[in-house]
Amino acid sequence: MNGTSTITEFRDAVLDPAKRAHYRLAWLSTVDHKRIAVLYMMTALVFFIIGGTEALFMRLQLAVPNNHFLQPDTFNQLFTMHGTTMIFLVVMPVLFGLVNYVLPLQIGARDMAFPRLNAFGFWCVPFGGILLHFSVLAGGAPAVGWFSYTPLSETPYSSSPGVDYWAVALFVLGIGSISFAINTIATVISLRGPGMTMRRLPLFTWINFVNAFIIIFALPVLNANLAMILIDRQLQGHFFLPIGGGSPVLWQHIFWAFGHPEVYIMALPAFGIVSEIIPVFSRKPIFGYEFVAASSVAIAVLSLGVWGHHMFTVGMGRPLDVFFAISSMLIAIPTGVKVLNWTATMLGGRIRFDVPMLCCIAFLIQFLVAGLTGISHASVALDWQTKNSYFLVAHFHFVAVGAIVFAVIGGLQYWFPKMSGRMLSERLGKWTFWLMVIGFNMTFVIQHFLGLLGMPRRVYTYPDLLHWGWMNMLSTSGVFFMSAAALILVWNLATSFFRGKVAGDNPWDAWTLEWATTSPPPHENFVALPPIRSRRPLWDLANPDRPDPIVGENSAAVTLPDHNKVGILSFILSEAGFFAALILAYLYFYARPQAGPGPKELDVPRTLVFSVCLFASSFTFWRSEVALTKQRRGSMLGWLTLTILLGGIFLVGQGTEYWKLFQTGVDLSTNLFSTTFFTLTGFHGLHVLLGLIALLIFLWAAWEGDFASGRRESAFKSVGYYWHFVDVVWVFVLLTVYILPLLR
Amino acid sequence: MTTYQFFTTAWTWNSIVFILSAVASVGYFLAFGQRGRPLFFAAAVVVFLFAFLSPFNALASSYLFSAHMLQHILLVLIVPALLVLSLPRSFSLRPPLTFLTQPLIGWIAGVGAMWLWHAPTLCNAAATSRTVSAIQTTSLLLMGSVFWWQVLAPREEQRLSPPAGIVYLFTACTACSVLGIILTFAPVSICPVYQHPVDRLGMLSTIRSDWGLTSDRDQQIGGLLMWVPMCAIYVTAILAQLARWHSCPAPQTEKSNA
Repeated sequence: MNGTSTITEFRDAVLDPAKRAHYRLAWLSTVDHKRIAVLYMMTALVFFIIGGTEALFMRLQLAVPNNHFLQPDTFNQLFTMHGTTMIFLVVMPVLFGLVNYVLPLQIGARDMAFPRLNAFGFWCVPFGGILLHFSVLAGGAPAVGWFSYTPLSETPYSSSPGVDYWAVALFVLGIGSISFAINTIATVISLRGPGMTMRRLPLFTWINFVNAFIIIFALPVLNANLAMILIDRQLQGHFFLPIGGGSPVLWQHIFWAFGHPEVYIMALPAFGIVSEIIPVFSRKPIFGYEFVAASSVAIAVLSLGVWGHHMFTVGMGRPLDVFFAISSMLIAIPTGVKVLNWTATMLGGRIRFDVPMLCCIAFLIQFLVAGLTGISHASVALDWQTKNSYFLVAHFHFVAVGAIVFAVIGGLQYWFPKMSGRMLSERLGKWTFWLMVIGFNMTFVIQHFLGLLGMPRRVYTYPDLLHWGWMNMLSTSGVFFMSAAALILVWNLATSFFRGKVAGDNPWDAWTLEWATTSPPPHENFVALPPIRSRRPLWDLANPDRPDPIVGENSAAVTLPDHNKVGILSFILSEAGFFAALILAYLYFYARPQAGPGPKELDVPRTLVFSVCLFASSFTFWRSEVALTKQRRGSMLGWLTLTILLGGIFLVGQGTEYWKLFQTGVDLSTNLFSTTFFTLTGFHGLHVLLGLIALLIFLWAAWEGDFASGRRESAFKSVGYYWHFVDVVWVFVLLTVYILPLLR
Repeated sequence: MTTYQFFTTAWTWNSIVFILSAVASVGYFLAFGQRGRPLFFAAAVVVFLFAFLSPFNALASSYLFSAHMLQHILLVLIVPALLVLSLPRSFSLRPPLTFLTQPLIGWIAGVGAMWLWHAPTLCNAAATSRTVSAIQTTSLLLMGSVFWWQVLAPREEQRLSPPAGIVYLFTACTACSVLGIILTFAPVSICPVYQHPVDRLGMLSTIRSDWGLTSDRDQQIGGLLMWVPMCAIYVTAILAQLARWHSCPAPQTEKSNA
């Protein structure tokens, strides 16, 4: 039904106690992408206040030299929590929220591809956030920095459970982010409205589609690292402790293999926001759509291979330094292309200086500074001088705040009318904007110079050296301007929600599909979609005499790929990243053998027999699939049961291998070989077990007759893809763990 | 021998390479005449000759793993790409060979060429025996051509669609990066021949002390070459796919000029 919009109803209902209870439940149990998006952003706001307060306390401690306002350990805890909170609980959720709201609307979809997975992904955020903050009650927050470098974060040096909570929380948040990315990919590939071809996607959607791929490659790598440190801490593993032959530098490699892409995971959505706002407020189509789109892909691919520039000061050796320096410099090219496109879009446009556009202009200038200081870190010699100083703090806050936060504020101002039906106040918005510009630059510009004067980062206080005192005081003063800006923003959101100017469908005269529906959109998003022939359907609608050139073919009758298949394949990609990290870690230590048990303890022939069972189960599953397609219920049940049996036999085989090792006194904590062996095979076994559970559910459903007349065939096939994948992983594990030692 | 002497004198005269190039060139013009794209073919021959006659060959065949890697990259990525591009628009593979146009075969050929020849035994054999080396070169050229066929085949309809091409290239890039990462961080020598080279040209002391290339560093550079510049080649190809995607009009406008 048109006109019954979630937020309008909600607004009326808050005032009625009887309805209030109902709506509370409706919001907690929602699977609607618009409500989930709002929940994401509200959660981010809560954590933003927490993370901001942490920053405020740190800056107060640093305001004057030799300060004793905070204990060193308290400072370290605030420092860790601030970084972790801002990255994982503020920037990522708020961006995911915006994407969740806008992306399905921009492609003319009714919802995300997997609404329940979407809700799951969201609920991982508060759950992870609570886990992280629970550490405060459980013996102290982690005090090791958001990067949690080993060996400091290992038990001998951080014995309180803070790091454990940190790792588990990030693991949960990582799972949430991956499920969000899988959902985004499946939505864009499978749920586009008629006429919305991939080449006509709005840039915000395209960039976030590309970004989803970075997420599914990068986050699993972090999760593998977190699993390893948890194994070290909880099960006395040896991955990162030098005392047992482990390698602290390996933690850094894996961490930054995730950490550098993470920068782009946060920055690309911001690029997407800016690419939407600048054209609309310059009254021109984006200059060089293709270049913005393609440079995003280049950034995504390059970002996965440049992590080494975070480690120049570690001492990786000259060859690595040189290659990472060059590849890091390459990233400046696609990023520079984007800046050029945005500025060229503004050139000659009729620019409207409303708050969203002001934020984008500030974004452009500050991002340029961030990029220039960033590229300076690609130069190894310069990096050695500035990496561990406040220069770097200034650099990444220019990225995270100067670029990303400004883009988010602009995006909120831009899309709030769509979400609430009411405009945010321009007047309050301008207050927020200018206070933010003043406060942000006051805090962080000076930190560049502090860094160049030699003030190290990650310190709780500092001596009273020449200029350091007033510079830090200035930096701290800026925080109050930013705090005021944040308070005004919250006030603006609250008051405008109830009393703001009514927005109408398309208050900004924009051209993408989200503005073709009511504000807020009805539950099903669209009553009817306008014809889509170009990248600006609403421009074509408003200017039938001079429409945009048609982009690509007009293929209305294309059948889009099945979303279950796209979803499971994306999931498999992310799992492949996870196992690749584990296998590489295994190889890393395999090449550096330690005393004690080694691969020679393993029973290769017996494992080969059990492996054959696992591989055979892929074949039997395929037969079961064929039987399902041919509607032969008995045969399908038989083959499926056989598949489960074969999988079970494999697990029993692994179990006996473990049992024999335990009998000879080899367990996970024995030496590096046993740590890596049990981790790799254990995680594989866990995946087989999960696959078996999924197959058992299907067996039960099939037994109950749920697959009659070909229903849920695509779900069945999807589980099949997963099952085959688990077998393929075993091929690699078998080769690495069992066959490789035989070749020596 | 000093660095200057080396780069001026270590050019090798290899008659087989010359004869092969000459035969291939004649064969090319006899087969395709004016229809082909001879500039690409000429470029392929030049790169091929450079890989085998320049001082890099001297380094690759006896001294440096990294030079060997550079040669490897030229032979598996650059020369085959130019060869496929040099084919006339009307060219297509005939029945017994059409299985080579399967994307999976192409992918396995491209990635396999990297992994296979860096198994320590094969890598050693190729560096010590001329026969194995010749087999290696031939297989690299062939497998590389099969790999590039998917993206650079003469006719549009023989190529993968641009999005599929991106997936094809990206996964190949990842698979090669993984090998590059392994080579970079491996503490043991992947190709032990290069650890204690036979000093045929008296260059070893120059390389080890003047150039500062210890055998560890040498292998690291080799791994990094496979990891970073090779990925840059794939990224370039990915960008070319995007350009093709955004520029391609409806497929029916594509005419074969046979």
